[in-house]
Amino acid sequence: MKKNTMSYKTSQFLMFAGPAAVLFIGVVVFPFIYGLYLTFTSWDGVSREKPFAGLANYIAAFQDGAYWQALGRTMIYSVIAVIFVNVVAFLLAYLVTSGIKGQNFFRAGFFIPNLIGGIVLGYVWKFVFNRALVSIGTAIGSGALSTSWLATTNGAMACLIIVSVWQYAGYMMLIYVAGFMSVSKSLMEAAQIDGCTQSQSTWYVTVPLMRASFVQCLFLTITRCFMVYDVNLSLTNGEPFGSSVMAAMHVYNSAFTYRRYGAGQAEALILFIVCAIVGVTQVYVGKKGEVAA
Amino acid sequence: MRKRISLAMAAAMALSVSAVGSMPVMAADVSITIFNSKMEIQSQMEEMAAEYSEAKGVDVEVYYSNDTVAAHLGTRYASNDPYTISMVDAKDIYSLGAEHAVDLSGEQWVEDTTEEIAIDGAVYGFPVCVEARGLIYNADAIEAITGETFDPTAYATLDSFKELLATLVEGGMESPVAIMKEDWSLAGHFLAEVYEEQEDVDAFITSLHEGSADLINNAKFNAKMDYFDTMMENNYAKDSAIAAEREVSEMMLAEGQVAFMFGGNWDWAVINAYDYSENMGIMPVPQNTEDGTNTKLEGGGSKYFFIDNSENTSEEQVQAAKDFLNWLVYEEDGQDFIVNKCALVPAYSNITLEVADPLGASVKGFADAGNLIPNYNYLPDDHYSICGGFMQKYLAGQSDRETLASEIEGYWSSTTPVEH
Repeated sequence: MKKNTMSYKTSQFLMFAGPAAVLFIGVVVFPFIYGLYLTFTSWDGVSREKPFAGLANYIAAFQDGAYWQALGRTMIYSVIAVIFVNVVAFLLAYLVTSGIKGQNFFRAGFFIPNLIGGIVLGYVWKFVFNRALVSIGTAIGSGALSTSWLATTNGAMACLIIVSVWQYAGYMMLIYVAGFMSVSKSLMEAAQIDGCTQSQSTWYVTVPLMRASFVQCLFLTITRCFMVYDVNLSLTNGEPFGSSVMAAMHVYNSAFTYRRYGAGQAEALILFIVCAIVGVTQVYVGKKGEVAA
Repeated sequence: MRKRISLAMAAAMALSVSAVGSMPVMAADVSITIFNSKMEIQSQMEEMAAEYSEAKGVDVEVYYSNDTVAAHLGTRYASNDPYTISMVDAKDIYSLGAEHAVDLSGEQWVEDTTEEIAIDGAVYGFPVCVEARGLIYNADAIEAITGETFDPTAYATLDSFKELLATLVEGGMESPVAIMKEDWSLAGHFLAEVYEEQEDVDAFITSLHEGSADLINNAKFNAKMDYFDTMMENNYAKDSAIAAEREVSEMMLAEGQVAFMFGGNWDWAVINAYDYSENMGIMPVPQNTEDGTNTKLEGGGSKYFFIDNSENTSEEQVQAAKDFLNWLVYEEDGQDFIVNKCALVPAYSNITLEVADPLGASVKGFADAGNLIPNYNYLPDDHYSICGGFMQKYLAGQSDRETLASEIEGYWSSTTPVEH
């Protein structure tokens, strides 16, 4: 059988990549193109007619002050949350690979928050911030704790960040743990023979070698933070006075609650482009400096 | 031999299973679906569907969704799988009715209600119940302090209401008031009253949109905000008003730790989860005004059924759906379902059953006496959340009346009023 013919290649492709390609086209490519089409209509989400509206939705999106505020807020949230998630995750990973007692137990424990869905997590923490902390604050007479953080603009943002860190740090920790384990022991020993202290060998040998883990973790946390919706919905629901509405929530509200489907879709597309630019740049820069062991 | 027996057994089992499975289909040749958007009556709806199916031979399935009504129906229409009957809000009838609903003008119940929704002379919306807003009070809690029978009509003006609050505070109830911080309550229900109590609501909305309303000098706005200020001063959660949780507020009201909260008869569904006092009711919002609005509640028909008119719904299904609506209004079981099982206030004058819950009974009293100021059903979809944000800021003490007024005016000048 000739292996160089077109039909052979096609059948090979269909056999191995066909099912996945069909699924991918069906649930990602096609809806994406259809969504793109909807951004040019003034569809309200329910009507049978989808009147063509040209670029009106994009113009409206660019003029929608609340949307850009939400996007700016999402940026701030993402920057802070990404830093904290990765720092905490890295430290946890360092701890649970350093050979402390019961480290497998700790690994599982830190990972568990990630298994709880965002909606449930939001409600649990809402209780913690609104009731538990307030009760403790009132009991010990502490001013900062005796009113709910969720009731203030900055407090609500802080709560969102705390919950996100709690949720994602365990997951990212696993990736860092894998990074730590992938660095061969011999390199560490060589460094120590050359006179490195424990922290020096970690900083100069291990960390550069696990750069791939950093790239991966940063990419995952950045995209997740930009797209945050479930915790936002159940923890703050945009309150107080709309000051914690993130970009994804604004898009959902535009499209479904305010019934401007086309406009919401256009805003979603802008969010997608922003995410893609940030994500791709980060991966490109990260990959460029990767070193091989 | 054994193989044969097991084969026979399997065949028999398959037969009996398929027979059981197909039986309801044989009994009911028409099946209809109902979308319920009133979460608190979902279990009652399901029970009713089962009983109705059995009694009438029409298979009824009830569905519920957590999504907003428009979003959920949108997905059903997009997949060409609409419900036969959908329960929606008044504004949805205005936006969906002409395109998606069957004209019900010829139905008998149209004669027995004043709350139906018609567009250009065609009736599309069947009112499920009457709901009204006002100040919910717990008379037991008040009487325990004053020692007198509580008569809500004596506190129609803000001045007299303030005196009562002062008496309650003196008598040991430190904060006699709860305020719901939810945006739909603050803007969708409370702020809406400022519009609804104007002499000509449409003209007022137009003037807001055109920027000529001068809200800060509007008598109604000021009367309502004076009341709101009084409530804020007496709020149990004064220090952290926008962290107050609805469940806690309703519990305190139900158990008499506070005496007043602005709300509506739908709040009964939350209140009755606690150790509530029977002696409750709804009174008009106290205002220093001469226009008589302080003797009325705001409200009217709430939640509407419409029947799908697309080719996905057959004529038999439309007929079955119409029969179902008639059953709700004219048959004993249907009336019992609305009034007793779901504790709703019926929108039909022929239904004479006593309303079971105290808040509903209050509302029915006002409705029967013609003392309901009608809902304004043409607020833009984003009004409650955007203006709700302004109200929350005010409630949190982070803005003043002038800022609030100019923010609300700003909202209206940038939005397009709903055509009707």
